[in-house]
Amino acid sequence: MTDVLDVEVDDREQPSPSDRAATRVTGRRVAGRRVVGLLVVVVPVLWSLQRVVPDNGAIVNRGGLPLIGDLLGKALQPRLDAEFLRLVLDAVGTTLAFAALGTAGALVIGVLGGLVLSDVAWSRRPPLPVRLLRLALRGLLVAVRSIHELVWALLLVSVLGLDPLVAVLAIALPFGAQTAQVFGDTFDGLPVGAFRALRDAGTPAVPAVAFALLPAASPLMLSYSFYRFECAVRSTVLLGAVGVGGLGQELVVSLQSRNWDEVWTLIGGVVLLSALVDLWSTRLRGDMAVASCTDWSGGNTVGVRRTHSRWARWSAIAVVPGLLAAWFATGVSLSGLTDERTVRLTGQLVDDMLPPALPRGGWPVVTGAVLDTLAMAVLAMLIAVLITLAVAPCATALRRGSQAPASLPVRAARGTAWALARVVLLVLRSVPPTVWAVIALLALFPGVLPGALALGVYTGGVLGRLVAESWESVNTSPRDALARTGVRGPIATIAAVVPPSTQQLVTYSLYRFEICVRETAVVGIVGAAGLGRLLAENLNFFRFPIVTTLLLASFVVSVGSELVSRRLRRAVRA
Amino acid sequence: MTSRPVAVRLQGVGRRFGTNPALSGLDLTIRTGERVAVLGASGAGKSTLLALLNGSLQPTEGEVELFGGTTARLRARQRRELQRRVGTISQDLDLIEQVRVLHNVNAGRLGEWGTARSLISLAWPRPDDRACAAVASVGLEWAVHERTERLSGGERQRVAIARLLLQAPELVLADEPVASLDPTRAAEILGLLGAVNPVGTLVVTLHQPLLAREHCTRAIGLRAGRLVFDEPIERLSTEQLDELYARA
Repeated sequence: MTDVLDVEVDDREQPSPSDRAATRVTGRRVAGRRVVGLLVVVVPVLWSLQRVVPDNGAIVNRGGLPLIGDLLGKALQPRLDAEFLRLVLDAVGTTLAFAALGTAGALVIGVLGGLVLSDVAWSRRPPLPVRLLRLALRGLLVAVRSIHELVWALLLVSVLGLDPLVAVLAIALPFGAQTAQVFGDTFDGLPVGAFRALRDAGTPAVPAVAFALLPAASPLMLSYSFYRFECAVRSTVLLGAVGVGGLGQELVVSLQSRNWDEVWTLIGGVVLLSALVDLWSTRLRGDMAVASCTDWSGGNTVGVRRTHSRWARWSAIAVVPGLLAAWFATGVSLSGLTDERTVRLTGQLVDDMLPPALPRGGWPVVTGAVLDTLAMAVLAMLIAVLITLAVAPCATALRRGSQAPASLPVRAARGTAWALARVVLLVLRSVPPTVWAVIALLALFPGVLPGALALGVYTGGVLGRLVAESWESVNTSPRDALARTGVRGPIATIAAVVPPSTQQLVTYSLYRFEICVRETAVVGIVGAAGLGRLLAENLNFFRFPIVTTLLLASFVVSVGSELVSRRLRRAVRA
Repeated sequence: MTSRPVAVRLQGVGRRFGTNPALSGLDLTIRTGERVAVLGASGAGKSTLLALLNGSLQPTEGEVELFGGTTARLRARQRRELQRRVGTISQDLDLIEQVRVLHNVNAGRLGEWGTARSLISLAWPRPDDRACAAVASVGLEWAVHERTERLSGGERQRVAIARLLLQAPELVLADEPVASLDPTRAAEILGLLGAVNPVGTLVVTLHQPLLAREHCTRAIGLRAGRLVFDEPIERLSTEQLDELYARA
């Protein structure tokens, strides 16, 4: 899922002094942790590297290189005639409409699911059947969000056909399940006194939730909703690959028919749209005092400075009419869900999918695809981290603290570098990974490597922005304090700014790794490698029992990597 | 007393923030070895005075001299050498939260270490005798390898004091080090601060005159940015204190 964020409750506890004497940290333990940390990074990277190099050593597809040349050659000559621009504008409208409706659907699922997941709302022990139902719903939400939206779209297409509802549901279902997780945590993070008091005074559950939980949670929930909308725009572009319309579809069509001038116009459109939506949503979220994406992904939602933005606030009024307009313009109709054909096809699909079966070649094929998926995710993260290390320092405007202000030319140079770096990151993350994959597949033979490259470039854009934003919020006063005791500037920065920055880089990288594993499905569908490719192939030939097996395998891999990443993230903080 | 060298001399020093004067017309001489309590209500200019002394603020009027030389118009290297001789504990301690205690304590020596040594120590900090002694003297032997952010507020303050011990400054500045501590802890912390450099100078802002009487040799009172008294501690009178904290 694109930019799936989860807010973690900080469960750090303060041990009492007597506990500490028992669990004393020794120098040896610190050194051991560092060695283990190094191995955790180096071993998977080496393993992945040796896995992607094919036996014959052929990586670069020389036949495809001229195509890349053609593509680059057209960079300065995008197609800009009125007819095509009208088509692009139409596609932008469709993309926005799908994203808005998908987000709206995700919020409905999110609020209901959030109440299911929240422990506060369930503070009284309900009867056993209700508890079992809750457990089942929790499991369902985890399963729903472990499947990538593109895979959802593929499954939905086989039931609903190329209906606009496919795009809306493919966003609404996984985003909804993710939102439910976040909202549940939000409810649990609130002071619960008011809610308990109402419940103890005999108020039924629903009014108690409406009066005591929702108002307190609403700024956070609204902020998250706009953040989700940002992600939804990007995901809708991605869904173009299955043909549901909008910018993404036009982009894939133009790429496949090798109309490079159109590709550049569309890429420009995607980047611009993404930039505007980011800006709008960031301003709105700042206005609600719960700010950046970084804060959302780091679970840091307290103590964020409020930045007032009048135009952003007024523009929020457009949300409801905008949703209505989107509804009518796209001609989405829920009747498609209940009509006789859908019901029949769904029944048939479920019937076809069971019982699961192994692909030809048996288990080795499945495990091979799983290992390819993991290797692809590891390499993609390696590339993303390298991009981040190269670009994010320029994209970070550190607070200067009490240091003397730099001279005008220095400041101008720094400002230009900052803006350039931010634009690079924007382009990297706005162009969907499917497009990066199609480009990578022009130059490289199909396999893990082009997939990793495409995913890595895209993830680099996302990770670079998250990391740069979090670096901007690093507390620089320890550095200033060191500089005041006569420590030279660079040394003070390395001593006081690098450790917290590294920690943030590691935390976000681990967290993006989880998402990367899920997103390998995306590049797989356009032909890279791994579970995604196997899934797409078998869907194309309607081998549904095998599809079921592959979905289960993806589920296991995705949940497994999530657990490992969580464990590691907790270890990083210890 | 008068024979001791001058540590700090302020001549007609003022500092404005915009049009708002935080300090004005301050003349003050502090000699090596003095223990000076800076008293005054909140907003009287105590923290501004400390910031002028450690060079994080420049005066808008007058001149600040440290150890007999001016602090204005210094080359970068000279300024660093001067700053090494001044150690500060600010109210928020300015510790690097995500690293081990040892790393924070060693940060006190980065000014004296060369680049290579600093970098090695940052990558792989090792507890040497001086660092161990500093940590031990603030009672945190058990915490050398703990992460700084896991310590309690009082323990983190001790880490900051251990860092000062390694810096071994001639002038120690402490901004309200005991603001939220109970009397026993407050006395301990002031004792530790006094021991950072037994022959050096200590300037500490305080809210409790009683503590000033126990731990300091001299008291100066600030009110609305102006010096209202400057007395040896034994001559400090109740009337003077009442006036200092009286509402305008």
